[in-house]
Amino acid sequence: MDKSLHVIFMYGLTQLGFIFFFYSGDIIASTSEGHWLAIIIGLVLNGAMVWLYMKGLGYFPQQDIISIYTGLGKGAAVLFLLPLIFFLFITNIITIRAFSEAITLIFLANTPLWAIMALIIIISGYIALNGVESIFRTGVLLAILFLPVILFTICISFQNVDFRYFFPIMDEKLTFLTKPPYWHSFSAFAGSFLFLGFIQPYVAYRPRIVMITVAALVPFYFISVYVPLFTFGQSTASTFKFPFIVLMSTIHINWLMFDRITMFLLLCLVTFTMLFISMVLWKLSQVLHRCLPKVKSSYFVIVIAAVNFIGCLFITNWDEIQSLIMWNTMLRFYVLVGIPCSIWLIGIRSRRMIKDEGA
Amino acid sequence: MRALKLLIAAMLVMVLSGCWDNIDINHRVLPVVMGVSKHDGNYLIYLQIPEQVQNSTQIKIVKGTGSTINHAVDLISANLEDRVDLLHIKVIVLDKKYAEEGLEDTISDFMRGRDVSPKTLVTICDEDMDAFFSSVRKKMGPKGTTLYDFFEKNAGWNPQIALTRVWEVYRSIHSYTRDVAIPIIRSGDTTVVQHVGSAVIKEGRMVSQISSEETLLFNAFQRESTQGKIEVMNHASVLVIGNSLAVHTRMDGGNPVLRSKLKLKVVIMETKDHPTSDMIMKELNESLTHQFNQMFAKLQESEADILGIGQYFRRQIPRSELKEWRTTFYPKLKLELQVQTIIENTGFLELK
Amino acid sequence: MDSLIQEIKDSLGNNDDFFLQQYTIGEARLLLMGFISLIDLTKSKEALYDNMHNWKLEANTVTSMMDAAGEVIDLDLEKAIMLLMDGKLILFFERECRFVVAEPVPSLLNRAIESPTNENVLQGAISSFIEDIDTNLGMVRKQVVSRHIKVKNLLAGSSHKKKLSVIYDDSKADIKLVTKMIKQLESSSDHEINNLQHVTRALGLSAWSSVPKFNTTELPAEAAAALGKGRVILFVDRMPFALILPNLIWDMFTLENDRNFPLPLMISIRVLRVIGVLTTLIAPGLYVALVAVNPEVLRIELALTIAQSREGVPYPAIVEMIFMLIILELIIEASTRLPKSIGPTITMVGGIILGQAVVTAKLVSNLLIIILAATTISNSTVVGFQNSLAIRLFKYVIVIMSAMYGVLGLLAGLVLICAYFSSLNTFGISYLNINMKKGEARNG
Repeated sequence: MDKSLHVIFMYGLTQLGFIFFFYSGDIIASTSEGHWLAIIIGLVLNGAMVWLYMKGLGYFPQQDIISIYTGLGKGAAVLFLLPLIFFLFITNIITIRAFSEAITLIFLANTPLWAIMALIIIISGYIALNGVESIFRTGVLLAILFLPVILFTICISFQNVDFRYFFPIMDEKLTFLTKPPYWHSFSAFAGSFLFLGFIQPYVAYRPRIVMITVAALVPFYFISVYVPLFTFGQSTASTFKFPFIVLMSTIHINWLMFDRITMFLLLCLVTFTMLFISMVLWKLSQVLHRCLPKVKSSYFVIVIAAVNFIGCLFITNWDEIQSLIMWNTMLRFYVLVGIPCSIWLIGIRSRRMIKDEGA
Repeated sequence: MRALKLLIAAMLVMVLSGCWDNIDINHRVLPVVMGVSKHDGNYLIYLQIPEQVQNSTQIKIVKGTGSTINHAVDLISANLEDRVDLLHIKVIVLDKKYAEEGLEDTISDFMRGRDVSPKTLVTICDEDMDAFFSSVRKKMGPKGTTLYDFFEKNAGWNPQIALTRVWEVYRSIHSYTRDVAIPIIRSGDTTVVQHVGSAVIKEGRMVSQISSEETLLFNAFQRESTQGKIEVMNHASVLVIGNSLAVHTRMDGGNPVLRSKLKLKVVIMETKDHPTSDMIMKELNESLTHQFNQMFAKLQESEADILGIGQYFRRQIPRSELKEWRTTFYPKLKLELQVQTIIENTGFLELK
Repeated sequence: MDSLIQEIKDSLGNNDDFFLQQYTIGEARLLLMGFISLIDLTKSKEALYDNMHNWKLEANTVTSMMDAAGEVIDLDLEKAIMLLMDGKLILFFERECRFVVAEPVPSLLNRAIESPTNENVLQGAISSFIEDIDTNLGMVRKQVVSRHIKVKNLLAGSSHKKKLSVIYDDSKADIKLVTKMIKQLESSSDHEINNLQHVTRALGLSAWSSVPKFNTTELPAEAAAALGKGRVILFVDRMPFALILPNLIWDMFTLENDRNFPLPLMISIRVLRVIGVLTTLIAPGLYVALVAVNPEVLRIELALTIAQSREGVPYPAIVEMIFMLIILELIIEASTRLPKSIGPTITMVGGIILGQAVVTAKLVSNLLIIILAATTISNSTVVGFQNSLAIRLFKYVIVIMSAMYGVLGLLAGLVLICAYFSSLNTFGISYLNINMKKGEARNG
């Protein structure tokens, strides 16, 4: 049965959190002019990879990437899946930790960090325990509840823009390509589309619609970077850790009964991120379950969540998060480029083999 | 079994909810105005706290000193019965002397912490802070937010008051092409406060001052609505009901040139000695142009671009050179302002 | 055969409402057995007499007489008792040694069809289901005149027998679901069914689910609409409502009766209900979050007023909130327990006196009273009492989470509830499905 709607909501929501939290900061930090080029390069790479990935997956109907890789043999499976496991693990830890840090910074100054992390993990774990279809349904429900809030806050974020900050347009030297923040910016893409390869046996979707979603998300990438730039200017915006969040706190609305709208945007994004984390937990549990089929996959979810929590506790400050993100760069590019390409190549190979057998 | 699990979860929640100190709103002191001044390297903080005493609001002013703002607030907090919470600060009043020394650190700290919202209004006080706050307390009515309402756009704001928020000051510190004007107030004779003009802030330091009338032009140039302002001239006084601005920029051999046209829609309120509408228009155009040129000369001299003219040249000047906008380009800037007045109507009476 | 009579007599004879009478019609000598409390004996006899006399007396008259009286069957004790319990009249033809089960005139134990008591109908059919399962079936049949409506009768319970009827529209309903359901009911036919929890268990569903697994309605029109949407209806004898399976989230907001209004009005009514549910869930939590954890979200004017109104309240917001919520729940519970004539007193005592006094005594802030009123009122906009109970319970989750994490807790609570909703399913159909076409849902 077709569940494209679920899939596109899932895909969109899980990216929004990253876009508005980290992506804008990373891009603004990586270059001082011509941000659009940096964004477009990232988006094109992402679009191409999603396309390749789905093309590759199309060769294996009803199979997830675990069985595709294990189909190659044990050694290959370990080779491909081990980095993936590491990536997912580290991503989860970084996400949980970074978001809780942001939450304490912005509005829960008195609440201990571990409590916020525990909340995020418990809720994501609960969502993940209910299984993949439940994750998707939760996504749709959250989208219905919170997307209007997000869209509203995005609309009002244009309050103080000065479009003249768009100039100067070009950065001829493309210096951003070598800057670490630019590599980090890819974390908004990597990991978000991976789930497409995990859900094939459970949920059917149309690849074309996913591509349309990828296109529909493009404005959000631009908004997240350009609205802070238009409001503050590059030299000011680059001093912020979360430019979009600071931007939201400068919005002044007389007729709203609430004062700090930042909070609502931020919290909605946090709920989407919980969804992302639960998805990662589920993916991890799937991979591990395939390794040890005897253990119920729900036990894996609990164990992984616990390990993640402990992992988060070991990170003491923001710099460590940054260095962890740095270490994750290699894995990130492996996931972003390596997995789609490998799936595609395996797909082509298997297609050829079937043809050969037929002939 | 399930019941047991639920019970354990409930117990855990009960225990946890007492874990960290969330303080209820009635145990927090919510100051609305904060005054900052600096004496001998120490910060002097004034907090204006509305207090509810039997269905009416009374204003309490508390004062504290400390080596940093937070230190001072902390000391105040320790001495008060409730915890001071800067989350609701709406107006920050800065000492003029302190503003002249430079605000960069203070403003950056406000932006860094979550307590003070970046939306908070910034003003400068033209007199001794002690005197100012004691006079404010005496004159303030039974409403906790008077000083804030003075600036609130849907309450007491007037077009000759520059509205500047913390984040805008912060932007001016870092931006290459943009400075800000901060309103200057002092305690009034009969009213709570009196607006005396605007301070010109360049990179976080007060460098000059413009008058109320000039601030109106400044606001008009910022495309803020100047609706409601009454312009008095020799022969008539008019009510501004609308304004628009058209700007044209060009680079003239390394010298920036900006031509702008300010359109004002006015309604005639009073006349003296039977002027014609042409006379009124001419008089208005001339006086405004003259005023503007005077103000601009002052601004150019102080190298503070509060009009944000540099913004218009971002297209022409590459970023590397834009850094020197204030020092290289701005002093050479030629600004031609043309004021065009349209008399929308003349009231019920015809002009002769 | 006399031994069977003896056995019946032995096992039922100590019931004073059991009768065993000799009776003669023409040449036939019979024994009549039954419960006087279930059978209008005089009328039944009359009917029997008329029936048999109208019959042409031909050869082998007694056999034809037996045919005329009812169904001739072989009985054992078990079956006989069950038939008797069910209100049937058993005739024993002494000479022929045959049992005949006759349909007697029942004594009137059902109320007439009345307007619903738990649901209000504006502009719509107001007859409601009654306790008698056959009447209910008839009402549904009358409502949907269609050859696609199928009825399956089942009997459940080992010592207490209970009639169940499963009704579905075989052109709309998912046949797999229906067979699964019937199979489940048949396999658990030894379960006693006296209440809805028993029904839940008999259907093999989790009894711990806070959201009811079936939507109940008293209105034949609603039941008919449900059939049209492919739902399955379950009637339980002695329950004056239809159980609609599966219960979906959208049922909380929609009534078939809404469609008696023009479309824009219908949409606004439904939007109102959605707002009602959201208010119920969010309002108390938001108050706690804003007062205790995140006062910076409030505008300064509001913050000052709230601070003032809470001045002198001796405990934290969460305690204040839970304290008042529980009092409110008590009022609701009390007014349902009380007879209708005393009910208003409770409303007055609870609403006016307590509400006013608790504020003047500075036990709670007056804003809280407003929030509570809004919560309770909006809670009642939900369609179906059982749904409103679930929502009433969930708001506590949000209140507690808000007390811990402020606005974050509020939203996290919402996420938790969303996740809970999405984890629910009945016979493989998710609670969140918007509509039930054949197969599975299109979206939701």
